[in-house]
Amino acid sequence: MIERMAKVEILGLKDVSLEAIDLIHELGTLHIEDLSEKITQWETHHVSKMEMDSRASENQARLKQLRDKVAEVLRELKGDIDQIPKEEIEREYELLWSDNIQVMTSSIERLLSEVERSTREPVERRDDLMVELSRLEKYAPIIAKVQPLVQRAAQMEDTASIALIIERKYKAILNYLNEEISKITKGECEIISADVDEESTAALVVFGRHYLKAVHEFLAVQDVNQVRLPADIARVPIDEAVTRTRARIAEIPKELEEIEAKLSDLTQRYTTKLVAARNAIHDRLETMETLPKFGQTDQVFVISGWLPEEEVKPMEEALLQKFGNKVVMTVTDIREEREEEETPVMLRNNPYVRHFELIYMLSKYPKYGTIDPTFIFAIFFPIFFGLMLGDIGYGIIVTILGLFVYKKWKDKPWANMGGYILAVSGGWTIFFGVIYLEFFGNILLKALGRVYEVNGVEKIKYFLGTEKSILKYPIDRLEAFALMFAISLVLGLVHMGIGLVIGIINGIREGNKKHAMEKGGLLMILMGALMVVAEFGLSWWPMFLTIVGGILFVAGLVMAALGGGAGGLVEGFIAWGNLFSYVRLYAIGLASVIMAVVANQLASDMGKSGIAGLIVGILIFILLHALNIVIGMFSPSIHSLRLHLVESFGKFFEPAKFEYKPFRKTGGESK
Amino acid sequence: MNDAVRIGMIALSAAIAIGMSALATALAQSRIGAAMAGAVAERPELAGSAIILVAIPETMVILGFVVAFLITGLKTVK
Repeated sequence: MIERMAKVEILGLKDVSLEAIDLIHELGTLHIEDLSEKITQWETHHVSKMEMDSRASENQARLKQLRDKVAEVLRELKGDIDQIPKEEIEREYELLWSDNIQVMTSSIERLLSEVERSTREPVERRDDLMVELSRLEKYAPIIAKVQPLVQRAAQMEDTASIALIIERKYKAILNYLNEEISKITKGECEIISADVDEESTAALVVFGRHYLKAVHEFLAVQDVNQVRLPADIARVPIDEAVTRTRARIAEIPKELEEIEAKLSDLTQRYTTKLVAARNAIHDRLETMETLPKFGQTDQVFVISGWLPEEEVKPMEEALLQKFGNKVVMTVTDIREEREEEETPVMLRNNPYVRHFELIYMLSKYPKYGTIDPTFIFAIFFPIFFGLMLGDIGYGIIVTILGLFVYKKWKDKPWANMGGYILAVSGGWTIFFGVIYLEFFGNILLKALGRVYEVNGVEKIKYFLGTEKSILKYPIDRLEAFALMFAISLVLGLVHMGIGLVIGIINGIREGNKKHAMEKGGLLMILMGALMVVAEFGLSWWPMFLTIVGGILFVAGLVMAALGGGAGGLVEGFIAWGNLFSYVRLYAIGLASVIMAVVANQLASDMGKSGIAGLIVGILIFILLHALNIVIGMFSPSIHSLRLHLVESFGKFFEPAKFEYKPFRKTGGESK
Repeated sequence: MNDAVRIGMIALSAAIAIGMSALATALAQSRIGAAMAGAVAERPELAGSAIILVAIPETMVILGFVVAFLITGLKTVK
């Protein structure tokens, strides 16, 4: 149901305005009305938007800088924020929070410098090691390839050598280099090369030592990479360089592990404090950013907003206790002021229905002053789901899955609600599974020996009644077309009927008689038409009910036309189409049961042809039923949702403009 | 009309009933789907509504399926 709200105006002396705003923020129950737009429309120039003074603006800028800095440090620390218990964050938050902005910002600055001091050295060391490791890993295969080349070059007297690394696809450049360097060195040159990997080739240019400068100058202007080893291994013999490189590559990960362990301790210690700081900054900034929504004159400030009626007294008492007669709160009657349109909506349902508020992920809240239809969704969604899927085996799986999601994601509202709805829907699936006596299709019926064949068509031996009885058990969905069709239409009439009755009540509440008349007319059209149609389908249907139906239908058309004009008449025919849309309750289930029977038949046929056939049969059984369950969860959910949003809610639902979002400390996203 | 032709005609009628309605649904869903994909790219909060809107034309194929099912039931009627 929609919580009753009170509209309040809080007036007070300007010298306590900031304290009053802090108290309202602390209480966290007032949904603020943005007065800025109204103020610009008012003709008086005495009231203006509340603005920050220069000192407050400086504080705001400082807080924004701190917010960025805290976010940056949190990113660097890479702590798992989701794993921190909320209570710990709240405890740190309370320690950090101060009504005095200067005190709070100083505490946060101290915290930041402490974190920086403690983490700078290990972070820098970690970064250095990672750079070194990646460089060594890059050079290791090159050095290994160059090693034998250098050893060959070392046997030549009075020579110098330069190692190059070249992309393999440009390997031909080595011939050009050989020719050119030969010219420079007058033939005293040799290039030895070896492929390092699929992309690069290492080459060693060996030449007379006295041409070293000239060759260097030549290579400097060519587009080739000279291998420049890290300083610590560049001056040692190549054999030792290889050994050192390999040893270092083995050592660095151990050093990195030690640093990571140290950083992990630091991360754990500081992440909670930093998240609390981030939340405190967010809340403080939120207060400052809300200021322009309030009004002020030279002497007083004014705050306007809504809060649940039961929160009026606590707010009044808190203001009185802190500010005495310096701040006054007055309550306005929403209905007298015709403010339903602007009033924010807060829903308060019992724990069962509350889970079904998930539907408002797809729609806005209902308008204030109308009836909250969540209970319709809570009653009918699981019934529709169960009616469509209706299988004991599938129901057990859906229920277990729903309970798993419900328990696993307790902290994630949407997943939690979804899991709950799935579990309840699974329960109804089992219920209708018992009505249809279906367990993974027709397995149970076959196991009980209730299936026989006539001319290749499978029939059921009923426990109660015969094939021609209206009431029989079990209900075979493949046979009972007329019964299931009728159940679907009657359920549709009840479902749409409740929607139309709510539409009538909403119309009366809002004093809109035409609206109420139109909805009443639509209800009469549906009931009357169904009563007339029953005459053709049910032999026992009494004639007088058909006549009553006809009268209702005609009277409904007149009422719909009087209430909604030509649109009302069109609505009448659309509503009739909407009613037939409920046939999907039967059709979706029919598709599901046919697929289950086909899965069983295929598996059974395969199972008759030896061991291999049996294995394939089991695989087919598992795969097709798994597919059917997945489709069976998706399709009934979508269609049940659609029946609510289009066929039922479409008849009466008026969306709210605003959802109740109180001005309170939220700490941003994490709380 | 012999039985084979009769059953063939019944099967063909059922196939047309489900096939045509499936094509009509597919055509409508392709347009709605494309439009909603664009809308969701701009406003991700519309994802839920998108699923419902895409499901709306399914009424056609569902009714087609019911009709096809009724037609296939005729083969046992002598």
